Parts: sequence; C-alpha cells; structure tokens
Amino acid sequence: MRKYIIKRLVYLVITLLVIATATFFLMHSLPGTPFDEDKISNLSQEQQKQVYASYGLDQPVYIQYFKYLKNIFQGDLGTSTLYTGQSVQSILAARIVPSALVGIQAVLVGLLIGLFLGIVAAYRHNTSMDYLTMVISVLGISVPNFVVAALLQYFFGLKWGLLPVAYWESYASSILPSLALSFGVIAQIARFVRTEMLTVLQQDYILMAKAKGISPVKILLRHALRNSLLPVITILGSITVNILTGSLAVESIYGVPGIGSLFVDTIKANDYSTILGLTLFYSAFYVVVILLIDILYCVIDPRIRLAPSKE
Amino acid sequence: MQNIELTEDLFCPAETDASDREKISRPTRSAFQDGWIRLKQNKGSVIALAILLILVALAFLGPILTKYNYYDTNYKAIFQTPNAEHWFGTDKFGRDEWSRVWYGTRISLLIAVVAAALDLVVGVTYGSISALLGGKVDSVMQRIIEVLIGIPNLIIVILLMMIMPAGIGTLIIAMSISGWVNMARLVRAEILKLKDQEFVLAARILGTSNKQIILRHLIPNTVGVIVINTMFTIPSAIFTEAFLSFIGIGLQEPKASLGVLINSGFQVINSQVYLLFIPAVIIVLIMVCFSILGDGLRDAFDPRMRI
Amino acid sequence: MKKLTAVILSAAMILSAATGCNSFTGKSGGTASQTNSGEAKSTSVNLYLENEIPTLNQFAASDNIAFNVLNNISEGLYRLDMNNQPQPALAKDCKISDDKLTYTFTLRDGLKFSNGDAITSKVFKDTWLKQMAADTPNNYAFILTDYIVNAQEYSEKKATADQVGIQTPDDKTMVVKLKAPTPYFLSLTTFIPYYAVDMSFFEKQGKDYAVGKDNLVYSGPYMISQYDAAAGVTLVKNPSYWDAANVKVDSISIKIIKEQSTALNLYKAGQLSRVKLSSTDVPAYKSNKEFATHSIYRTSFVQFNTTAEGTKNVNIRKALSMAIDNGTLASTILNNGSEAASGVVPTAMSSGVTGKTFGSLRGELKTFDAAKAKEYWNKGVAELGGKAPQLTLVLDDDTENKDVGTFLQSQFKSVLGIDVKLDSKTKEARRALMKSSKYQMGLNAWGADYDDPMTDLQIWTENKNGFRGNFKDTDAANAYANLITEAKKETDNAKRADILVQAEKSLISDNAVVAPLYYMGSAYLVKSNVKNLIEPNSGILELKYVTVQ
Repeated sequence: MRKYIIKRLVYLVITLLVIATATFFLMHSLPGTPFDEDKISNLSQEQQKQVYASYGLDQPVYIQYFKYLKNIFQGDLGTSTLYTGQSVQSILAARIVPSALVGIQAVLVGLLIGLFLGIVAAYRHNTSMDYLTMVISVLGISVPNFVVAALLQYFFGLKWGLLPVAYWESYASSILPSLALSFGVIAQIARFVRTEMLTVLQQDYILMAKAKGISPVKILLRHALRNSLLPVITILGSITVNILTGSLAVESIYGVPGIGSLFVDTIKANDYSTILGLTLFYSAFYVVVILLIDILYCVIDPRIRLAPSKE
Repeated sequence: MQNIELTEDLFCPAETDASDREKISRPTRSAFQDGWIRLKQNKGSVIALAILLILVALAFLGPILTKYNYYDTNYKAIFQTPNAEHWFGTDKFGRDEWSRVWYGTRISLLIAVVAAALDLVVGVTYGSISALLGGKVDSVMQRIIEVLIGIPNLIIVILLMMIMPAGIGTLIIAMSISGWVNMARLVRAEILKLKDQEFVLAARILGTSNKQIILRHLIPNTVGVIVINTMFTIPSAIFTEAFLSFIGIGLQEPKASLGVLINSGFQVINSQVYLLFIPAVIIVLIMVCFSILGDGLRDAFDPRMRI
Repeated sequence: MKKLTAVILSAAMILSAATGCNSFTGKSGGTASQTNSGEAKSTSVNLYLENEIPTLNQFAASDNIAFNVLNNISEGLYRLDMNNQPQPALAKDCKISDDKLTYTFTLRDGLKFSNGDAITSKVFKDTWLKQMAADTPNNYAFILTDYIVNAQEYSEKKATADQVGIQTPDDKTMVVKLKAPTPYFLSLTTFIPYYAVDMSFFEKQGKDYAVGKDNLVYSGPYMISQYDAAAGVTLVKNPSYWDAANVKVDSISIKIIKEQSTALNLYKAGQLSRVKLSSTDVPAYKSNKEFATHSIYRTSFVQFNTTAEGTKNVNIRKALSMAIDNGTLASTILNNGSEAASGVVPTAMSSGVTGKTFGSLRGELKTFDAAKAKEYWNKGVAELGGKAPQLTLVLDDDTENKDVGTFLQSQFKSVLGIDVKLDSKTKEARRALMKSSKYQMGLNAWGADYDDPMTDLQIWTENKNGFRGNFKDTDAANAYANLITEAKKETDNAKRADILVQAEKSLISDNAVVAPLYYMGSAYLVKSNVKNLIEPNSGILELKYVTVQ
C-alpha cells in the first residue's frame, strides 16, 4: 500500500504539471489583456511597452512559461493584476478560509442527514418515510441552491430575525450558507445510500444476521452500511471539491468573502497569475481527494484491489 | 373415505425425456422484456411516465396554443401577472411567459437528453473499461480525468465561444468536456467491487469476452447507481447551461431555457414571484417524474432486486 | 471504524471552526442611527460596495470600488463640494496666469499625514512624478502626462524629473506649468490620481504598502480601523485632518455585498443606511419618502464600425440610430434613474462657460423618428445595391447590457423590420473584438474622467491605440479631428464650447458614428436621518459632508 501511495503522489506532481501547462497556454490565448483597455489605450505606444515589460508580458509566451515554472518551484505564485499588487498566496489564503468553513459544515451536515434518511428509507422501503426521502431528494437537487439561500435568508434572517441576514461577522454568519448548501448534499447522499442499501438488505448475510437475532440498528450500521458506502464515497469526493471551492451564488447572497467568485472574476479579467494559482490549488485538492477516495475503497471493501492483480 | 388399496399396477412410469428435465417452463424473455413487464406493473412509474409525456407534448404544442410567440415584445404590457390574455403573465419586455416557458422546456429537455446520453454512453463505457482492465490502463484513464477536471472549464468555454458561434451545438460541446466524469467514477467504483466476485470468475472460465462480461454481467448490476446518477446529472446540466448562456455561450436572446428563465426570475424575486415560480415548478415536476421513473427502472431492471 | 469516523468528523468540525473563526470580522460599528436614546453618542453610517476592493494603493487603483474608499481617506489640492464645484482642500488657493498655462498652488499651514509626516509641495511633486511613470500599475499616467509640460517625455524616460513642469520653490508653494489651456484642470486635481501620497512611508513599506490598515497613512477626512479586501472596511474620523471639525460622522462601515436582494434585505433590517434599487423594485418604492435617483457622467451608446459591411453606409447608421426609442429604454426597461441621452456628452456637464451646462448649448442630438428611420434605411439599402445587410450587435454579458441589447433588437425589428443578431461576450472578449475592428455595432460606455466635454469627445480621434469606430481617413473624420485640436488650443472658453458643440454635432447627427443611449443612473433608498451622502457626477462616494440626525 505504501508503495502505491508514493506512486500516486508522483503521478500527482505529473498531473499538476500537465494541468498547469495546458492552462497556461490556453489562458494566454484568451481574448483581451490583464489591463483596463479604456485606460491603457490613453497611453502612448512607448508608455504601453513599459507597462507590458513591467509584468514580463512583452516576452514570448514560452519564455514566460519557463519563468513561471521556475517561480513555482521556488514557491512564488506571483502577484495579481486584478487585485493589483497583492500576492496570489495571500489572496488564496484569505479567501479560502470562509469557503472552507461553510463547505465543511455543509458536507458534514449533508452527510449525516443524508445517511440517516437514506438508511431509514431503504429499511422502510415503500412506506411514507421512503416517499418523504424521495421528495426531499428531488427538491434538494432540482431547486437551485440560490433559491434555497434566498428563502432561508428571507425567513430566518429578515422575517424572524433568528440568524444574521448576511456579512461574515461571527460564527452565526456561517450557519445559513452551510444550511443552504447542504440540501444538495443531503439529496444526493440519501438517494445513493438508499439505492445501495435496498440491494444490500436483500442479501443472504443480512438475513443470516437477522436470524441470529442481531438488533436492526446493529445490522443496519455494522453490516449493511459499510457495503453501501461505495458510491457515497465516490460522490462525496466531487461534492466536497465543488462545495469547498465555493458556491458563487450562495456566497454572493450571504456576503461571504469566499473563493467562489474568484475563478470567474479572474478569468474574465485575464489575471494570469491568480488563475494559475487557483487552478493549481483546485487541481491539487481534487487529485488528493481522489487519492483518498481510492484508498478508502480498499479500506471499506477489502475485495477491491487497485494495484494490478497478478493474474 | 374409502380405503383404496394402492397396488403397483395402478401406477405406470411417466413418459419423460432427458431433455424435458432441462426444459424451462416459463416463456423465454430477454432481460429487456423482463424489465419492461415489471416496469409496467409499477403504478407510480406509469403515472410518472404519463406526466412526462404530457410535459413533452406541451413543450412542443404549448406555444402553438396561444397567439403570442416567445420573442415579440410589448412595452406597454410588461410584468403582467398571469391573466386571461397571457396565461403565465409577461416578462420585463412584455413577452408572453406561456410561450417562453414551453419553448424553454423544449430546450431544457433537449439538454437533459444530451446530458443523460453523454453520461450513459461515454461515462459508463469509460468507467467500466477503466475498472475492468485495471492496472496501468486504469491509472492512465483516471489521470486523464484528473487533467480534464483540473483545467478550468470556463477558460475552455470562453475559447470555444471565440471560435464557434453561440448556440446549442457549442453548448453541448462545452458540456461534454467533463459532464460525464462523475458517472465514470461511480461505475468504476461499482465494477471494481464486482469484478473479483465469483460470478465474474465463472463467466471468465466459461470463456465470455470482456465485452460480454461488461454488457451482460457487470452493467446490469450497476443499473441502480447509473440510474440515480443520471437523475442528478440532468438538473446539474440544466443549471450549467443556464450559467453558460448567461456568460454568452449558448442561448442568445430572445431564446431561453428553463434555467435561464429561473436565473432571470430570481432577479425579480422580490416583486414578480411568478417569473421564478413557474419555471421552477416545471423543473421540479420533470425531476420528480424522472426520479420515480428512474426508481421504477431500477426496480425493474436490477437483477439483484428480482424476487 | 465507527469510532475513527466519529473522531475524524469532530476533528474536522473543530479545526474548521477554529481557523474559520479567525476570519470573522466581528460586529461593525452599530446600526444606522441612534434614534431614541437622547443625544447621539457616536454616530455611524453603514454603506456597501458591490465588489471586492482590488487595492488601496493609490498607484494601483483604477476602478470606482477602490476610489470609493481612497477618496475618503486621502485628499488632494482641491475637493468637489456638494454642487460638484472644486473647492480648496489641501491647497488654500490657486492663482492662474493670464495665458492659462501656469497654476500656482499655495498649501495650507500645518498639514500632516496621520503618522505626523508633513504634507509639503514636494510630497505632491513626488507623488505626481511616480504617477507619471508609464509602468505605474493603475495605467493612469496619461491623466498627468497629457497636461503637464514635459510629463510625457519624463514618462517615456526621455526627460529628467527636473525638466518636468512642476516647481516647488518652498514647502507650501507648487507651480505647475501646462502644455495647453485646460479649463478643467482644477477639477482634475479633485481626482484620486492627483491626491497626495506620503512617499517616504511608501518607499519604506515597499511590497507591503496598502496591504493592511497599518500599511497606510491618511490625509483625508477618515482613517481605516478595519480592512478586509473581500469583506469591507471600517472608517473612523481622522484627527489629523485639517478640517476635522467639519466631519460630523464618527464611523462609517463599508461592507462588500454583491447580491442586490441581500442589500435590500439588510436595508429593511436596518443594517444599511442606503441601498441601490434594481429596476424591478423601483415601482414598488417610487413613492416612498426614502426614494431618490441620481445619474452620473457615464454614457452608454451604440458604437458603429464605419468601415464594416453594412455599417459603413452613413444612411444605414442614421437609420439604426433613429430607430431607437431611448426614452422608453430609460423609463421602462432600465427604470432606475438612468436618463435618455441627448448626446454623448452628459447634459449636465459643464461647458467651461460659467452658468451654462454643455447640454443647454448643444440641445438634442439624438432623436427617435420611426418614419425617418425607415426612409434612411431604404436609402442606405439602395446605395448598398438593394440587399439589406445582416447586422450583429456585440455586447457585454452582464444583465444591464443584455437587457439593453434585447430592447435594441426588438426596436430594430419593429421599426425597420430587420433581424439583428445579438452576440454577447465577456468584457475582455468584446473589447478585443472592437479593438481589432471585427464588429459592426457594439454596445459600449464611457465614464468621464473629469468635468469637461473633452473627455467624451477626444476619444473619437486618434486615441493612441486605435480608432474608435474606425472613424479616420475620411474627410469627415479629419474635419472632426481638426475641430478637437482647435478646441485644445482655444483660450476663450465661450469659443471653445462652441467648437465642441460643433464637433459633437458632426459626430452624432452628421456622421452617426455613435448612437447615444442613456446616462447611467441609479435609484436609491436612503434612511431619512442620513443627509448629504453624495456621489458627485463621477459616481465616487463623497463622505466628508455626511451627517446623521
């Protein structure tokens, strides 16, 4: 296993390199420049040349690329043009924290409630509990999260004054955004758990456990759940990445100073350094999550072997 | 009761053929026919299917039923709540919402179908091959997925937008870059679990080709997961399309999809609630039907559910 | 395994809460006003901005969000008062020579930055020299190099600092020499790139300058007590400000709120003093006593490419321009305080002639006439050989522009019977298309840099990096360029205004290079006890005069 993990980490570096390279060259083919055209067009050609030179943009793209790589390996992610002068590291560090907090809470709440609903729905297949879970699941996935966020804000914030309407002032500020984001998570997890559970509960060993007299709760949690978790873990990976990297709409509605809008803003403004910094961050995060999930597969279901089998 | 003496000559051996013992008494049905029959027995699924068909019919016939079309503006009739003239009201340009909503449903259904097709064709195949072949192939295929997800989608979308005209076609290309990845990962996970089980081993010993193993044995057992995930991909695709149309790739005014209508409706949520409510209800309705239908499909086709 | 999961889960929650808690900004200074409890102990105002603050480094700031904050923590020679007139600020007066080329500023006594450093004429000179450097990140070098003697050459590294037309004979006197008479030079000095920066502090801070509240010093009515670029700033009165006695509000909190409906909710909850209304909310609040509208010097217009297929014909352009009912556009579609434009120069802009706005001299250049539009269209089509051209309008992908685009599309259809395609792109993409002349019609806007028509009119001549609308190389274009050059040399304000009126008429009526649409505006709700919260025509917040009752 250890050899496998090391191998995967090596792949991680290679993958990141590929992603960074592709993004770098694609990004430089985007229309426009990092500068405000309306302002820069007022400068003379000579003045403009100096501007480009000061950002190193006057050199051919592949030279800029190697320079960028060199900086990366020295730990320098560059400075932003959109947030003029700020280092990419400081921007990322500051903006990721609120998104991470809201995201982790949303995932945890979603996971717990989702598991609960899914298990109960499967156990009580075709009863009202089952249908209720179905309804919640469908609503959770088809009502866009910004609508949920707006409704929560209106009722809990404005009308009943129970929680902050917006801003990022105290821990209470993170409750409504996390709640709004958790609906989608609940919906997906509940459905997957229910589906897998339904199959698992029909297996012989469950019948055997029942015959042995083991309590239903124990059967559900000890035996059935573990075998139903495979798709849940898989989906948890992409859910986590999506939510942690910030939900644009929900963060806007609650005034959370998070990372959600950063991607769109920087791509639209051609802020090359920040785009690459973000890309590297997201990709590294995603790849690490996939690695963890693959390892979890083996832990959860010992029948799975990822290393090539000696057949 | 009388006592009848049972002597040997009252019995004679039954005429049996060795082949008779091997005969299957039920009529042969393929997996598909089998599933279809079971599906029809599920009342909920039938109703859901019916509602879906009605929605599809409305999507095509709806705009015809009224004299207004989806793009004519009327600045003296803006923001009308639903009334006798405009059954769903009008939007900020005075355009008829009834037409716009059904026209939008058409487009959203198209996107749903495309997204589902992508998932089923590309996602399932990719995932199953990756899992079944395992080892180096699996490694490479998964790394490819990581690269596809790692490169910011928005950049690719904007570049596409520069070289191709905005429209549904470009939209579909943009969505097909990584829309199928979740399905691939899920199917791979399931198959990794299944591929070392006894029945696969048995199939291999019998000499079944990889393709047959995938199609006949592995995929039917992953139907549950496939169906559920397809159901999640659809609304996700609809809202991704709304986002893309908002930034200029995809639908241009005056065309609209349900996602775009919801986005615009959200902006006037404080005053004209119906503009958000109506398309949202339709999406929820479509999703509920897909959901019930999906469950029915899974119940019908999943061999492990067979009683 | 269950235990392990439980441990991991709780660890995750605790960890995230712990790190997350550091990022909270804490409750901001109170609510909108102290009403009942007798005298107002400490007054505060709550405002918001619609996007993150990109930077507070004056040399890097170029957008209104940053300017909104900088305007109130720094100051320049002059400052706009509540009537948009430049009034002495750090300077106590200014003497202008008869040939209008030499401005002698005298600074007040005892001026200091918040860290005790003195504000002298040399400080101004050093700041301006730094701003003139071509690679200054805000790309605003031109706002100085266009006017001051030898500034352009200094910027291109062809002249030394001593050769630039700024002299500082003593700590309180600054003599500025201009290249040409500029009636709006004083109003230029009220613009942020002209403000004073403590250069010795700036040099010492190096890369850390303006990164946090302790990396800045203040010369304006307020100082920063809390700063998070993505969450907002809190301003408090600056005791070292020369006019501190006249600053009436103790603290102002400015948060970042991107979503309009959230802002409205916060206003209703009493947590904001002012909120911008979206066009659909306006009808509901129009009769509310807290309602107000305000338009700024930013004009939205359709820009034609005078060399492209279809739009190269002047009659086609005139037809398209006349087919637009911009009155309905402003009142029905936008309905947010925006005004229908009568020209590309805002009506209320000063003309240089005292007592007369430019609009009053120029009149109405944009007309809506469906019949005439059809006439011009037919004429144009005939001249093009009988086949009506297929036209496309490129525009930005934000909501306001898309709504305007949809409106234009419907007008062209109903008045001229043609189908114009809309092509919405990201802002950068649209600019790139227009810069390389790959368009026929483009939806564009221009915000005035200073209070004079020249800002809106000179951009249609050889604008150092490209020709807008490709309006060049024809007799009409050359005549226009000549008019602009003449105006720049004219010392008599009345004559100058006249020339500019002529120029605009040529641009819009005769040659239809531009079809003006509207002057951008906003509709607001303001709490009735907050007064003098103004946004002069630049759209930049002016907080010096605010009072709370």
